[in-house]
This record gives sequence, C-alpha cells and structure tokens, in this order.
Amino acid sequence: MKKKMFLGIALGVSVLLAGCGSTASNTGDAAGSTAESSGAEQEEAVYPKGTVTFYMNGNPQYRQQYFETWLEEHRDIAPEVEVEFVQVESNADAREKVTMTSLAGAVEDLPDAVFLDRLNLMELAQGGLLLDETGFLTPYIDKMVDGAVTEGKVEDKIYGLPDSVRPQLLMYNQEIFDKYGVDPEQMTTMEGYIEAGRQLKEKSGGEVYLSWIGSNDMTWKCWGRRGLMPQANAKIWDEEGNVIIGTDEGTKLALGALDTMYSEGLLMRVEMYDPAMYDAVNSQKIATFNIGAYWDEFMRQNCQVTAGQWRIMSAPVFEKVGKAGAPVSSYMCLVNKGEDTVYQGLIEQMWYDYTFDAESRIAWTKSMEEQNAPYSNPISLEMLEDDFWKEPSDYYGGQSFREWEAKTLENGADNMIVTPQDAEGDLIISTEIEKYVAGEQTMEEAIANMDANLKAKIGTAQITK
Amino acid sequence: MRKNLKKYRAPYLFILPFFLLFFVFQLIPVLWTVYISFTEWRGIGTPEFVGVRNYQKLWIDEMFWESFFNTIIYWIFGLVLIMAFALLIAVLLNSSLLKGRAFFKTATFLPNICAAIAMGLIFRMLFDENMGLINEVLAIFSVEKVPWLSGMEYSKIPVILLIVWRNTPWYTMIILSGLLNISNDYFEAATVDGANVFQKFVYITIPSIRAILFFCSVTLTVEMWKVFNESYILPGPGTSNTSLFQYMYESGFNVFNMGYASAIGVFLMAVLTIISLIQFMAKRKQGEL
Repeated sequence: MKKKMFLGIALGVSVLLAGCGSTASNTGDAAGSTAESSGAEQEEAVYPKGTVTFYMNGNPQYRQQYFETWLEEHRDIAPEVEVEFVQVESNADAREKVTMTSLAGAVEDLPDAVFLDRLNLMELAQGGLLLDETGFLTPYIDKMVDGAVTEGKVEDKIYGLPDSVRPQLLMYNQEIFDKYGVDPEQMTTMEGYIEAGRQLKEKSGGEVYLSWIGSNDMTWKCWGRRGLMPQANAKIWDEEGNVIIGTDEGTKLALGALDTMYSEGLLMRVEMYDPAMYDAVNSQKIATFNIGAYWDEFMRQNCQVTAGQWRIMSAPVFEKVGKAGAPVSSYMCLVNKGEDTVYQGLIEQMWYDYTFDAESRIAWTKSMEEQNAPYSNPISLEMLEDDFWKEPSDYYGGQSFREWEAKTLENGADNMIVTPQDAEGDLIISTEIEKYVAGEQTMEEAIANMDANLKAKIGTAQITK
Repeated sequence: MRKNLKKYRAPYLFILPFFLLFFVFQLIPVLWTVYISFTEWRGIGTPEFVGVRNYQKLWIDEMFWESFFNTIIYWIFGLVLIMAFALLIAVLLNSSLLKGRAFFKTATFLPNICAAIAMGLIFRMLFDENMGLINEVLAIFSVEKVPWLSGMEYSKIPVILLIVWRNTPWYTMIILSGLLNISNDYFEAATVDGANVFQKFVYITIPSIRAILFFCSVTLTVEMWKVFNESYILPGPGTSNTSLFQYMYESGFNVFNMGYASAIGVFLMAVLTIISLIQFMAKRKQGEL
C-alpha cells in the first residue's frame, strides 16, 4: 500500500515538473525568438501570460494608458499580457531599486524595463543589468532627431531606447513684458536676457523678477548642469577626468551670469515646485523661465491663471559661445533578467510604435491634452513633419509649443561629460551653490570650494565613452 | 558544555529564535558593513578593497563634519526639550485636578501617530519664506521675512521643532506610566510635612521615576542620532540641516558610494556605543545600576 502511495506521489510530482518544464521552455522560446528576430517575425511571436513591469518617475500613469491601449490592440501576440507602471521618485531611485533587487538575487522581481537618464543608464549598463539594444536600434537611428541615441551609448553599445529628447527653452510672460514696455526680443542673448531683467526690475519698482533661484539642488540641476553650464561650454572634468571647474573659463561665464542676476536682485528666491513658486507665477512676479521643456506640464497644471500669457523662444545664448541649453534625453532601458527575460521583443515593439506610429501617438497625445497631462514631442523626424505637431497652443497665446519644442532643439549645446562620479560631483557642486544662494559665500568662493572638494573627495573621474 | 545544553534545552530553545534573527538580520549585516567600509563599491559588481581610504575621506569631508555637528545639535536640543516637555505634560496629565484625562491623553499622543513626511510637508509650508504662515504672522508685527529654510542661520529651527513635536508624546506616555506607579502615600506624607508642589516634584516625583528618565534618555539619544525624516523633508541650503544618518543614506543610495556610506555607518555605530557606555558608566557611578 505504502509502495503504491509512494509511486502515485512520485508520478504526480513528475507530471507536475514536466508541466512546469514545458511552460518554461515555451516561455523561453517566445522570448528567444522575439529577441533574435525583428519586424514581421516579431509579430508572429505569442507572449506568455504575465505582466510587463516598467519603472518610471514623473507621471507614469499616463504612459501606462498608451501601452494598455497598445496591448488591447495587439491581443493576437499578447493575449494575456498586462502592463504595470511602478512610480519611482527619481532616476537614482529606479537605479537603487534595480540594483538592490539584483543584489538580493530576486531576478524575477526585477522590472522588465526602466526609464533612465545618462548617469544611471551608464552605471546599470556597466553592471551588466541592461540589455544591449544596438542590433535592434541601429536601423532606426537615421529616422530620429539628432543625438537621440548619444546619451544611451556606453562603450559603443546602445543600452537605451530613446524615449524623449527635450530642449532647454525660454518661456516668458508676454503680458508682463507688454505692461512694462520691455522688448522680449533682446533675450536672444544672455547679455540681453540680463538687461531685460534689469529693465523689468526698474520699471516694476522691484515687483517683477526676471526668474527664480532656490536654495536646494534644483538650482544646480536647472540653471547649472542643463542650462548655463552647457550654454557656456563649461567643464567640470577635462578629457582625462581631472577636475578643472576652478579654472575653467566656461564655468566662470556660466556661474558668473547667475551671480550677476542674483546679486542684482533679478531672481526671486523661491524653491522649484513649491506652492510659493506657482503663486509667484500666478501673481505675475516671475517673468521668465530659462528651463527644460518639461516645465510646460507644471505650468499648465499649476499656473492656469496666466494661461495665454506665456510665449516660447530659444534659450538665450552667450555671445561668445552661441549655443542654447543642452537637451535632456530619457531612455527606456530593458533590464537583463537572464532566463526571466521574456518580453524583450514585445517591449521593443511597443517602443517602436510609440516612437514611429503617428496614428496611435497622436491619439494618445490628444487624450493627454484633454486630461491636461504631460507629453513630449516625438523623436521621429517623419512624425515631426505632421501638422499636428505644429498646432497652436492656447496656453501659449496661439504659439505652437510643440513646434517650438522641435525648433529649439536645433541650436542645442552638447551635454556636459557624464562620469560615474557625477552623482557625488553634483552633490558637492550643488552644496556650494546652495550656500552661495543662502548668502554664506560669494560665487568666487563657491567655485573655489567646488574645485577643492571635488579634488579632495573624487580626485580623478572615470571618463566613459 | 554539552551537559549544560542538554539540561537547559528548553530555555535555550525559547531564546533561540531571537538569536537566530539577531544573527541573520543584525550581526551579519553589521559585520558586512564593517567589511564594505574598507572597499569601494557602487552596489554592483565585486567590492574592491581600498584599505582605510574611506575613513581618510571622512576626515577631509566638510559635508560629513557638518552633518556630524548638525546631529549633535539635534541630539542636545532634542534630548533637553523632549525630556522637559514630556515630563511637564506627563505631570499635567497625571494631575488629579485634570478633567477629561482620556481626551487629553489621546490629543497628546496624536502628533506621534501622524506620518512624519506629511507633517514635514506641513511644516515646510508653515516655514516657507515667501508665503508661510509663520512669516505672515511675523509680518503683522512688522518683522521682515525670515528665511527659515532658505538661509543657514535659522534652518535648523523648523527641524528641531518638528523633532520635538513628533517625539514628545511617546516619551510623555512612558513617563506617565512611571508617574502612575508612584504611591500616593508619599505625596500625602509630604503634604502632612508641609511640602509644597515644587518640593514634592523635586524630592518625590523625580527620584521615583529616575530609572524611567534614564531609559528615556538612552533611547532618545539613539533616536536623535538616527534622525532622518525630519531633516530630509525640511532641507536647508547645502548640508546645513543634513543629519549624519541622512548623509549616510545619501552617500549610499543617491551617490551609490556604498563603501563610504558604510564607513559613515561604522562611525555612527562607534559614536553611539561610546555615548551609551558613558551614560551607563555615569549611572553605575551613582550606584543606580
């Protein structure tokens, strides 16, 4: 009796194991075939039941809407696949979660894809946690805006599918300029920009500020790393990774301009994203933002009182350099889950349609507009030709924000070199700028301290191509 | 040894779960942290041994020292203010003159159950330089805007206030439990002897709850050295408000310098051990341990 029972249990277990084995092998086949193939072949693959998980910061719920609709329309290849977007606090937070999950060995808990910037992409790619997408992406490079893949490359391999490339631009409140009779056209150069600030201050009796400055890390992020520093061709590191920020002429030009604006009282001290900032905008105390295009969504959501008053132009250039700010790129990176990498082909298809399928992209963008939700311009050159991307925006008084977003990419400066030490470098630099904003030191002292602390704490940065 | 194990098998088995958990979740991570502090590691790949480089870096790192001194300030102010307020409120709650004690006990405890981050956001709005309520009130008295969180001079005040506001209730309850255990006979005898309220407080109340006050001061010291939420949600310029615990977190999970963060962790551990030893030695000297 006991023998029979044992045989029965053994048979049952072996049948179960065989079943599991067959599921695993099917899964592997689907993943393998789609990963190796492309185009029409990919569409033939049927993906196993499961959830495709993305990590994304900002407002991922809106992107989820695109992919959910996409999956509904592609049930032939993914009949039982769901999509889940997990909101993360920042790119560094996404990297932390991926790193820690991988370190814990919980590969099955890793997301299938994660949205990253250059710094965090580079670190995860070098750690072997991202999939090489060079083969898949290479045929499409010419179809995308200039430099779309540049920041997704590490040692000549592409680890990020470009998601957005957004320029630095100048938003200004036309009504304020009209009210005080200040010509916004002079703001094509940084020198003219500062002059416009002086005129606004004088004519408004100090009521109106040219722009903002804060005592947290947003000042360095918005004014420094993405704004004035690339505009002035400034450098933190030289080609060998040595610290040069203390002697670099570009740094003096960039941070000198910030110093001029702040010391002359042209910048209102208020923290980015704080209610006080929106309050100042709504009460017409802040006249301009020299900032990334992403700021549009925050303005539309929080500053409806000034709807129709804002206009867009290219970010002002330093006469000596002649370049506007550096574009900010974001990448959708596929996570290397080893044998658990099941949906690579599916995500590549999703990315392809999001990037190149005009119909679905326009439909989604219209839906975003209805919800007053964030969206960015496409990176497909062909899609950008469509008149839809030149339609006027009510918020910008009939000017087309989408058209200007594309236009302002044209004279963009190169991004600063990003090294694995930049997270620490940014912390050091930002700390000194914050102390400057708090009135604890002069800008000259701040730059000297940045130089000394970078040398003492980091020494030489590792330059990754 | 084996004989003892056999003899005391049951008690050993009862305490085994604690030691297993302690071994897996505390001792091994501590030893691992000490090891990592001698390496350079970004959380991915193999840690590279660098000797005492991370500890040398601590020595020259201004941000680390600023965070260290900030933590000392939080510790001193936290310890003094929380203990003082907790004792005062506990005595008031224990007063026989108080009507509706249950309501006041609940109301007193409320700040402790509020989410630190949510309260931090409210404090941030209150202390906002441009539109905060505090500055609005000051403006009524013709006081100029105070850069509470955007200047370095005052930036720690909101953090200390939030720490005190959130932690006082917990220690109030602990002290109150001690007060409830003091026999009423002492107070009656003292009344007969003509002692006033203050004398009763100094000569009966305080000595009776000395052990509880010591316990509170030790746990509060550890808590204050681990301050994170309050300083994280109410940042000042640079590292003017950063606590050591927060700096360790930022070095580890924002900068991904795990070796350096571990060195800060080891330093923090050493400081807490020394402070706790001093507290215990002082108590032993007083013959109370």
